[in-house]
Amino acid sequence: MLIHLPIAQIAVDPLVIVAIGTMVGFLSGLFGVGGGFLLTPLLIFYGVPPAVAASTQANQVLATSIAGVSAHWKERAVDTRLGTLMLLGGLVGSTIGVAIFGVLKHFGVIDTTISVLYVVLLGVIGGLMAWESVGALGKAGGDPGRRTRMNTWIRGLPYKRRFPRSGLYISIIPLLGVGFVVGLLAAVLGVGGGFILAPAMVYLLGVPTRVMVGTSLFQIIFLTAYVVFLQATFNGTVDLVLGFVLMIGGVVGARLGAAAGRKLKAAQLRLLLALVVLAMAGRLVYDLYVEPKPAFRLEEAS
Amino acid sequence: MRLSVLLLAVFLVRPAAAQLSEAPREAPQPMIVAGLAEDQVEVKVNYAGARIVLFATAPADESGSSGLAVALIGPSAPAEVIRRKPTGGEERFEFVTAPAVFAIGAEPQVAGTIPPDVMIEAGLNAAASAMPKADKLDSADLDMWRAAFVDLKMSQGLYSFDTTTIERLDGGLRRAKIKLPANAPPGEYKVRAVAFRNGHTVGMTEKTLTLVRGGLDATLFDLSRQHGFIYGFLAVLLGSIVGGIAAWIGRR
Repeated sequence: MLIHLPIAQIAVDPLVIVAIGTMVGFLSGLFGVGGGFLLTPLLIFYGVPPAVAASTQANQVLATSIAGVSAHWKERAVDTRLGTLMLLGGLVGSTIGVAIFGVLKHFGVIDTTISVLYVVLLGVIGGLMAWESVGALGKAGGDPGRRTRMNTWIRGLPYKRRFPRSGLYISIIPLLGVGFVVGLLAAVLGVGGGFILAPAMVYLLGVPTRVMVGTSLFQIIFLTAYVVFLQATFNGTVDLVLGFVLMIGGVVGARLGAAAGRKLKAAQLRLLLALVVLAMAGRLVYDLYVEPKPAFRLEEAS
Repeated sequence: MRLSVLLLAVFLVRPAAAQLSEAPREAPQPMIVAGLAEDQVEVKVNYAGARIVLFATAPADESGSSGLAVALIGPSAPAEVIRRKPTGGEERFEFVTAPAVFAIGAEPQVAGTIPPDVMIEAGLNAAASAMPKADKLDSADLDMWRAAFVDLKMSQGLYSFDTTTIERLDGGLRRAKIKLPANAPPGEYKVRAVAFRNGHTVGMTEKTLTLVRGGLDATLFDLSRQHGFIYGFLAVLLGSIVGGIAAWIGRR
């Protein structure tokens, strides 16, 4: 059986879409990332127009994030106070990032800049995470040490607040700063930013891995709701039928992912996330340097 | 090339009767009578493409070299082909009008025997139906851009040259089945039947087919285009409700 998507204007097999949603939802629940970086290319590969795929995936991520947060909320592993501050920084950063994106696009250097920046960023983050978590697995397999050189510097900053859920007493400046930088990068790179935010929370701010997952999802709820609303209202590229079918699989996957996460040690979780980040960097390198690009493409003219 | 395109433009607007004058004078002029089984197709949520059925008859002078070709063409829209230069950067070529869908088929005895210029005159050449801006009509690269356009459309499944079948029934009646792809855009289509004899056009007729949105498909599409704010609110609400229900089920 096929169903017709009113905005994408194609017919799709709902079972395939549910399967894609479940797989990405599982990763979302497990790692606290939105999963857009995986969902968008999968939908495009299945034949969904790129603009519709990029916008509609945010709608699925919204639903799975709500389901995922609920599971972590029950475990008292969501720091809403910390998440809200980072979200504020993220909204400002993404707004400025959109402007920077426009400037780079104007000068025609956006594609190469983004791809190279992406590969470097993902490679460094994934590599460092993998290195650290493999080392941690040989020990207790818990969270990384909180008193790193960076943490020591951050502890000296003013405007300190207490975040009991994360067990932190730190300045709000690095929280806003991390949110801002992640929002900026997310806007320039065109993805949600969860996979940048998650390691930043653990390694820079010292948030425990389990609280990081729930708190990251908490922020993703609001960011994706904002994106979905803007894309649906001004670009008309959100396909509600596609989004609904994706969500059905996504929410199931998110619950399964959260349950699987509870059975893993924190270091195992970080190592798996590192591997996902490195796999994504590998895919980009493949796209950039190996896969032949078609000489022609077609666009609708105005 | 310019002459060919001008001829195409002239032929596209000429009434079917005028086409008959192209036939050799010594041959009898067969009259094509044709009708669509359905002249309107509704796109609903369960729409997965359709088979358009056209019945046509061209009774006079059946011979080995005569036969019918049928095409589904439309709706016209502007399109732009972009080429990635090997040295970096991009080059664009705009077609001011080109059919979004082009599906053609012919009976075996005439398929491959019709000269290209006759196909263009009959409006059955996919590449020639993509019309560039007037100042690009004599561009040296026009054929390359048109070929790229057709290739890209074929890769999207919107142009096809092997999915239309024509069967001969009793009494000289033909039944053509044309595949309308699931990603065909709504709008007005032309189903054109052209009779050929000895490599010449001897008759032509055209029927109109309308593809319209219906049901939930139409409601959502219209809402997204006419009331974007409400549609955006609904999108966020849907995500929140589905996520909320999943969370509630998970807690139980």
